[in-house]
Amino acid sequence: MIDLKNQAAIVGFGYVPFGKRGEHAEKGHLRLVVEAVTAACADAGISPKDVDGYSSYYTPIDPPELFEAFGGKRLRYTAQTWGGGGASMCGAFQNAAMAVATGQADYVVVHKVMTMETGARYGQAFGQMGQGIPAIGGPFQHSVPYGLQAPGQMFALAARRHMHLYGTTTEQYARVTMHAREMAVNNPEARFRTPITVEDHHASQMIADPLRLFDFCMETDYGCAVVITSAERAQDAPSKPAYIAAAGVGAPFRFGNALMSFYNQPDEDFASSGQRAVSAEVYRLAGMDIADMDVAMVYDHFTAMVIMSLEDFGFCPKGEGGPYVEDGNLGLDGPLPVNPHGGNLAEAYTHGMSHVNEAVRQIRGTAINQIPGATNVLVVGGAGPSPTSGMILTGDPT
Amino acid sequence: MSEQMPGLPGPRPDATSEGYWTAAGRGELVVQRCSACGVHRHPPTEVCYSCSSLDWEWDPHPGLGTVYSYTWVERPIVPALAALGAYNTTVVELDATNGVVRILSRVTDIERADLVVGLPVEVHFDPAGEGVALPVFRPRRS
Repeated sequence: MIDLKNQAAIVGFGYVPFGKRGEHAEKGHLRLVVEAVTAACADAGISPKDVDGYSSYYTPIDPPELFEAFGGKRLRYTAQTWGGGGASMCGAFQNAAMAVATGQADYVVVHKVMTMETGARYGQAFGQMGQGIPAIGGPFQHSVPYGLQAPGQMFALAARRHMHLYGTTTEQYARVTMHAREMAVNNPEARFRTPITVEDHHASQMIADPLRLFDFCMETDYGCAVVITSAERAQDAPSKPAYIAAAGVGAPFRFGNALMSFYNQPDEDFASSGQRAVSAEVYRLAGMDIADMDVAMVYDHFTAMVIMSLEDFGFCPKGEGGPYVEDGNLGLDGPLPVNPHGGNLAEAYTHGMSHVNEAVRQIRGTAINQIPGATNVLVVGGAGPSPTSGMILTGDPT
Repeated sequence: MSEQMPGLPGPRPDATSEGYWTAAGRGELVVQRCSACGVHRHPPTEVCYSCSSLDWEWDPHPGLGTVYSYTWVERPIVPALAALGAYNTTVVELDATNGVVRILSRVTDIERADLVVGLPVEVHFDPAGEGVALPVFRPRRS
């Protein structure tokens, strides 16, 4: 058996400044990715022409287009993982790590880009499919005709069940957003830097009960890219490498098309982030546990799902995510600081890429809210869709 | 198109789901049952998740269940729905099935405060295009 632990590393990341919805529409997807890849390669000390592999998730720009655009010398490896939005984002890093560690490619880029053009909204992802047509087929035939058309509505079903089973409250949801805003105060790149109160949260518009506007992350225009290479090549990188101790995707029993129109999971998984299987897998692959982590990047598209991710990744026992958040455990002086950059709720929503950026910064020691001596960083992919994912990065490969 | 939910598409049946939607069109709730092991499943698919058999049949169901989870949508995606005010989408767990069967649906004839997890409900049907209908639920009358 080949052990992949610490055999690959992130050696560069780059991105364009985060914009509000539609702000970068004139640039278009290709320009945004090209700028991000250029910046990531500069950070890694290589030319974009040296990139010989692309590992993607949920992208509108295909690897061959980028390879052609940059005049790459030769393309040796392409891969794609599945899962809506940023659910399987760590799977792209898993595929990249396997490629560079086994010599299938020298430098693999993971990229992700989005610009919201006029009329195209995240929340309408499934609604648009159902508009202006008399009938809808495929998996959505069981949900869209009932008016279940948006991620927030689907996550509301999990949130309601979680509240029913464990007594989780909307005050606890508010605490997740309050924490994110507090972290973003120091981050000049964050889009939402104004602290809020529980009252502000409760005064925000109810979208899909029990989820309000301030339970949702923001729509963001962005382009992000990350360069992965082998541990051996990483020795030559200009900055301290962030080694991939483990990365994986997964889903528990009957979670295959979770939250779209499939609701038959065991109770403990229905009211969950769907990450029980993948968290066990990444801890096993890394030979580490939650107690070994110094800081965590938790994909925070919806407050309720953050609480469920904390449970599935072992921050606290199942059902205790709400009180865990309410007790202030996410903070910089808590047992395991979460999203010191402000995350999706306050910095930007980049389908997971900005969480990886912050993980690398923490390992390099260059973060704005730096955790002293941060070495092991947990990265949690998007909760809900399947497969979801997780990753552990480390600054200490020994 | 649903008669009760303007602006939403109806279901477009396929080879696997056609029997489900056309039964609803006749006012009948059916659930897919594995011909080999008898386990029920929904939404319809082509292989038994339990025993891997490819053989299946439609099994009539009395249409009784309980509310498993729900949301009230206050900001609809489809503009025409705004006229309805908040509407619910509800996961109903069917009674007396062999293995868990939950259906995403809607509870009608109910005030917002009365929709709670565990509420006993019964099926009825919302016509949604030629020959097909959406199974929907309402509080049990008995």
